[in-house]
Amino acid sequence: MKKILQITLGIVTSIGGFLEIGSVMTAAQAGAEFGYQLLWALLLGTLCLIFLVEMSGRLAAVSRHTVVDAMRERFGFPFFFIVLVGIVLVAFMVLVAELGGIAYGMQILTGIGFPWWAIPISLTVWLLMWKGSFSLIENGASLLGLVTISFMVAAIRLRPEWSSVGSAMLPSMPHGDKARYGFLAVSILGASISPYLMYFYSSGAIEEKWDRTYLPINRFIAGFGMTFGGVLSMAVLIVAALALRPQGIQLDTFPQAALMLTTALPKYGFYFFALSMVFACFGAALEISLAIAYFFAQGFGWNWSQNLKPSKNARFAFVYTLIILLAGIPLVLGIDPIKVTMMSMALTSATLPIAIVPFLFLMNDPIFLGKHRNGWISNSVVAIVIVISFVLALISIPLEIAGA
Amino acid sequence: MRAKRFAIVPILLTLACKQPTPAEQMDSIVSWLGTAGMAGDAWLRHTTPDKYTRQTLELSSQRLQEISGELLKAPPAKIDTAILDATLTRSRAHIARMARLVDERNSPGFRRELDSLRIQQKVVRQIADGVESAK
Repeated sequence: MKKILQITLGIVTSIGGFLEIGSVMTAAQAGAEFGYQLLWALLLGTLCLIFLVEMSGRLAAVSRHTVVDAMRERFGFPFFFIVLVGIVLVAFMVLVAELGGIAYGMQILTGIGFPWWAIPISLTVWLLMWKGSFSLIENGASLLGLVTISFMVAAIRLRPEWSSVGSAMLPSMPHGDKARYGFLAVSILGASISPYLMYFYSSGAIEEKWDRTYLPINRFIAGFGMTFGGVLSMAVLIVAALALRPQGIQLDTFPQAALMLTTALPKYGFYFFALSMVFACFGAALEISLAIAYFFAQGFGWNWSQNLKPSKNARFAFVYTLIILLAGIPLVLGIDPIKVTMMSMALTSATLPIAIVPFLFLMNDPIFLGKHRNGWISNSVVAIVIVISFVLALISIPLEIAGA
Repeated sequence: MRAKRFAIVPILLTLACKQPTPAEQMDSIVSWLGTAGMAGDAWLRHTTPDKYTRQTLELSSQRLQEISGELLKAPPAKIDTAILDATLTRSRAHIARMARLVDERNSPGFRRELDSLRIQQKVVRQIADGVESAK
């Protein structure tokens, strides 16, 4: 009974915690500019994420190591340090974007400009990190994030042509701007395959003392939770394709995105969108802050646990305090979170090889996983998606910068 | 080898300075007119707050002015600049009046301005289609 409850809660929190500013804005821009045409990128990203999340949970349950612990042990500190720099820089940009998403949500609800919200929001995130336990952070924010299901309701109410939706699951060449199409595909892949999620998930498994008996639960949560989450992202793209594209609206700013749900859900759509962004980005900001703190603490061998008081793991608490403080600064200065979002999602794709390739080596190491090592299917799926993301990122990021 | 490396710098700088094409600028204009129209529709249905609607209308007007200013500095031959300029000036005037009418909570007046904006929107879309097909 307890395990069924855990599976249910795990799936529900995966759904509620799936969307964040990156996944919403990349999917919405793709829908507004290219209709359903980029649905394949969401499908590919979600598929890869299912495998990666399952792998990071399996590694933790079998070896009792987080991904970071295992990486440092297997490859040594100098190599780990390179990974740390790359991943933390991108994760920091994503944190700025998430705090910006909350601030923008508050702006459209209150009319008060987003820079004014940067400090109160950063303080609230920090306070919850300081006072809250791991399960409060993981479950509380994700349960509030269930308001994002409104995107799925809206997509169904807009009555998409399901045959066109189905055919867009296969990649096709765009009629319009190819560089932009490539950049959006890369950003979608980056938003879907967020490496911080692996570090967060494996650390969570250790916090919750998973062992081998949790392997089936892990598989269920990764499979069902991420699939439903991916369907939510697809719903965002479909809504943008049906509500914004006919008006010729391209999403350059957040206030434009706020109109997305007003066609399908006329009465409360605007508020559903604003609350979706506030709660979803809040949950993501907590997870990223925690993931960065885990990364440092596990990498440098410090005490770490979100369930301990800050006085018991002072350096761990110091890292998230500093990182949240720093992430608030660009917002106070008025830097547009949407631009940070799009660039950070594309950069995530570009840094995927340094995050994922060593992880794949770990997942094939008999010392850590014994008979629970990866099979050829999971190795192939992840490797192919990483290569596609990296190549697309190398080509399209310079072109997008040039075009901007 | 070193010379090749240095040659990349001016190429990147040239690319970084690349201006949006007229077709992209027309797409942006259509997008902001669509935004103003959609925000207007939502406000008339009483589904968005006044402050948000006013701010979005003001932002649309501001962006339209910026983009059209850039476009009209070096317009492509295919565009009748006099028509485009007049249409966009009228559009911005409608949007400005809509923003004022939000504050006055004047729905009938707002609806009239929105209908007029829709007419201008159609003209701009035709011009944008012409630029697109001439690419």
